[in-house]
Amino acid sequence: MSSKGKSGKTGLIFFPAFDWAISPTHPEREERLLYTRDQIFEEGLMDLPQIDEYKPRLAEMLDIARVHFCVPDVESQITEAHLIAAGSTLTLADALERGEIRNGFALVRPPGHHSMRVVHGNRGFCNINNMAVLVEYLRTKYGHKRIAVIDTDVHHGDGTQEIFWHDPDVLCISFHQDGHTLYPGTGFVNEMGGPQALARTLNIPLPPGTTDEGIHYVLDRLILPVLEEFKPDLILNSAGQDNHYTDPLANMRFSANGYARLNEKLAPDICVLEGGYAVETALPYVNTGIIQAMAGLDYSHLKEPDFVPGRFVQSEQMNREIEATVAQVQRLWDDKDELVKDALQGLGDFYRRKKRIFYDTDMINESQEETVRLCPNCSGYMTISSQAQRGYGILNSAFCVSIPRKACSSCREDAKEEYEEHIDDRRFGYVCMQDKDRDTFKFHNNMTHTQKSY
Amino acid sequence: MLVGIDVGGTTTDAVLVEGKSVVKAAYVPTDHDNLLKCLLGALDELVKGVDTQKIERVVLSTTLITNMIAEGKTDPVALVLIPGPGTNPSDYNLGEACILDGAIDYRGREIDRLKESQIKEAASKISAQGLARVAVVGKFCQRNHAHEQKVAEIMRATLPGAKIELGHKVSGHLNFPRRAATTLLTVATKDKYKEFAQAMADALRQRKISAPVYILKADGGTLPLDSSVQMPVETIFSGPAASIMGVLALTPAGQTSVIVDIGGTTTDLALILSGKPLLSSKGAKVESLLTHVRAFAVKSVAIGGDSAVNVSGERMTVGPQRKGPAICMGGPWATPTDAMRVLGLTSVGDAAKAEKAMQEVANKLNCSPKEAAQKVVDVVVDKIVAEVGEMFKAWEQEPAYRIWEIMKKEKLEAQNVVGVGGGAPPLVPLVASRLGASAIVPDFARVANAIGAAVARPTITLNLHIDTERGEYIVAEDGLTGKVGDRKMTPEQAEKLARKLLDERAARLGIGEYSGEAEVTYSEVFNMIRGWSTVGRLLDIRMEIPAGLLASWRGC
Repeated sequence: MSSKGKSGKTGLIFFPAFDWAISPTHPEREERLLYTRDQIFEEGLMDLPQIDEYKPRLAEMLDIARVHFCVPDVESQITEAHLIAAGSTLTLADALERGEIRNGFALVRPPGHHSMRVVHGNRGFCNINNMAVLVEYLRTKYGHKRIAVIDTDVHHGDGTQEIFWHDPDVLCISFHQDGHTLYPGTGFVNEMGGPQALARTLNIPLPPGTTDEGIHYVLDRLILPVLEEFKPDLILNSAGQDNHYTDPLANMRFSANGYARLNEKLAPDICVLEGGYAVETALPYVNTGIIQAMAGLDYSHLKEPDFVPGRFVQSEQMNREIEATVAQVQRLWDDKDELVKDALQGLGDFYRRKKRIFYDTDMINESQEETVRLCPNCSGYMTISSQAQRGYGILNSAFCVSIPRKACSSCREDAKEEYEEHIDDRRFGYVCMQDKDRDTFKFHNNMTHTQKSY
Repeated sequence: MLVGIDVGGTTTDAVLVEGKSVVKAAYVPTDHDNLLKCLLGALDELVKGVDTQKIERVVLSTTLITNMIAEGKTDPVALVLIPGPGTNPSDYNLGEACILDGAIDYRGREIDRLKESQIKEAASKISAQGLARVAVVGKFCQRNHAHEQKVAEIMRATLPGAKIELGHKVSGHLNFPRRAATTLLTVATKDKYKEFAQAMADALRQRKISAPVYILKADGGTLPLDSSVQMPVETIFSGPAASIMGVLALTPAGQTSVIVDIGGTTTDLALILSGKPLLSSKGAKVESLLTHVRAFAVKSVAIGGDSAVNVSGERMTVGPQRKGPAICMGGPWATPTDAMRVLGLTSVGDAAKAEKAMQEVANKLNCSPKEAAQKVVDVVVDKIVAEVGEMFKAWEQEPAYRIWEIMKKEKLEAQNVVGVGGGAPPLVPLVASRLGASAIVPDFARVANAIGAAVARPTITLNLHIDTERGEYIVAEDGLTGKVGDRKMTPEQAEKLARKLLDERAARLGIGEYSGEAEVTYSEVFNMIRGWSTVGRLLDIRMEIPAGLLASWRGC
């Protein structure tokens, strides 16, 4: 259930994408992992007997389509860098399943945890959700059922949350700087999953300035006990590094040692790098610390040049605030079965919600209506109607249908009907079908009447 | 005329090359306790009746350093490390070390000061241990030499006459523990190597050979003997390097070849990819130490002509142990050599004895001696073919850090299988046909190693690191720093600077005439953005003369 106690090496993929940037001066630029490269190469970490370096591979279109409805198609939303970053996580998954490694770290960019199920463009520096691609691959290829994703980036992992919103078998826990004070402005305690999966999404918003003490309080008092109870097949860490006290885009006070200790305690099976933009002052040290912790190496010699223990102290008020949030989330977790029961009682055959999604990088506004069948025999098919606007014009619109794993025959039939009904429906540019049960995916273009499958 | 001499495991081979032909070859048995004697013995044998004034160049490949390290005959050294923050130094397999405070970061900035009293204390301790050789290595010292220099200065005062080697002079590459290991080995072998070089130079003078003398390095390049005393460790593994350079010389240019050197108990495999010998992606492993020494990728497989053939139940295995020579050569146990003799693939040894050896194997396998022999040969060929496959796969799987490197990496297949060494000729065609390649056993396969030494050109690598925000450039190995005024220095300007610095180094090493053959093999440039504006650039340029053949040989 976690890499703790397993023997073997730590698999490491370092893919800094030194020839890829969102734009020349963007935080997500070529230079981001340069000093990290210098540090981990100079440390000689790849030579240590505890560590094995792997070469990344490209993810296939199928791996992406298993997670995302890319509009108009997968090819238009990805670059080679995205496929390599996502593919790196899959290479590590294969090595883990073959028993070659006991855990793995995909130290890759670009990141992914802000990408949602439907993709019209880049939001929060992300196009493709590497972590979600990994989760779906692990379930399809290796038949894992229960997976826990712990998002330790300073920003709320809203993309991962949205993708697994209705899925009771994927536990998504994200702690982050309070959404009132930071992008993406979500991740409050009351966001806790769809009616069938309530409290399988847990959010722990933390006050700006939270230190090692606060984050380890959340880990010790909430995350570790919840994992103990959930008993996932695998624990995955969306390992952002922007909780660091020097990060230029956020305001937390987490240290490299704090990150190393977190990974030692959490013992994730696979870590995937997300954000972190203090390219000189944090990343070289935090990455070294995570690698050391995962490989069971001594990290007590690691520290940032300007760090002294006891440098940051939380106020009493902040302690109480964090304690209160943890207690609140703990109650949700404890009541999860009742929450689901109550929610389903008050609903009919379908659950509907409307959402607006803003793509900050690409300035796209999307509005969605999502419908899930609350099926007594399976987890129910889902449809999403999505309209994306840029400026005053419609960018793209799509009608998406998703058939879950182990779908019942009635859900499968209804989903197929929904798909066929929307073919040539002039309100939508594209109609997409995601059949997770059969692992096949179709994208139909209503304007050219052409179809693409993965 | 060019002279190449290679000290091998059993014989020391020498050749005389004129233009593109081998004029003469000579062999003497190798005496591992007196390498100088072997080299001179082979040389004397070779130049008998030759006008030594016509010799233009002498290249030696010796096992001196390899043996010295393997036999533990190196000098004792005190290792002093300035590791700074990061890995616990005891996680490195470097043995006992003196750890000093002080730290430099990846940009070459001092992040923690040295403590003078601590350095003095370390020096007294070293002095009390009676050690006269010190290796001082700091993390990121290749980006800023100040700490290493300061430590050396203080130690020199406390330890008069001590030999002190600094990490940055040994390697400018990233990887602190490898740099420490390489520095350690350099100090530990330098004095004895110097003695050898001196004796060699004297002996040649006595023989009135005035041609320049070079030594072959692990990367297949040559270096003047007198310059090589600065970097003795680079001469390890020159034996395999000589063979690979020999094959390069004896096969068509630009092709992809597998080199198979089948010995008694091991088979060495190496690759030439599109005409370029494959270097191991990081440095060489010397005994248990990982170093920065550039060396060809050589894979040793535990199977050879004398490997013991065993049958248990219906399963037959070959090797890895050796019980003696082949039965057909008077040995005690059935071997692949016996099998090859039965199949008529070789004519060495006694046919009747070979037949008898295979008969025994055949009895256990319930087949005819010929079938048994075929099975033995199949096992050997299967093993070699599988290992060749693994080598190509390992090369394809070498990590890459840029999109284009991952997208552009072509898949290569062997065009030739080239046999060198005694056991190769009969098996090479079998391996080649399995790989769909042509079999080549060059005319001079027996002395390919000595030819390789004779016609290898010098190699040189210059690593230039430029930080325009800090306004400086640095060439670690030369202990060289300089000012850079232009914050927007371009890669082209940086390459020009690298060429100038390489020319200067080549001249210092006495190989200035080759510096025109240098090429840029690596170039990276990063804009440093702070806030939303560019504050400087980081450029790294590697310029080198890679392993290759002398123009006189290529030209013919």
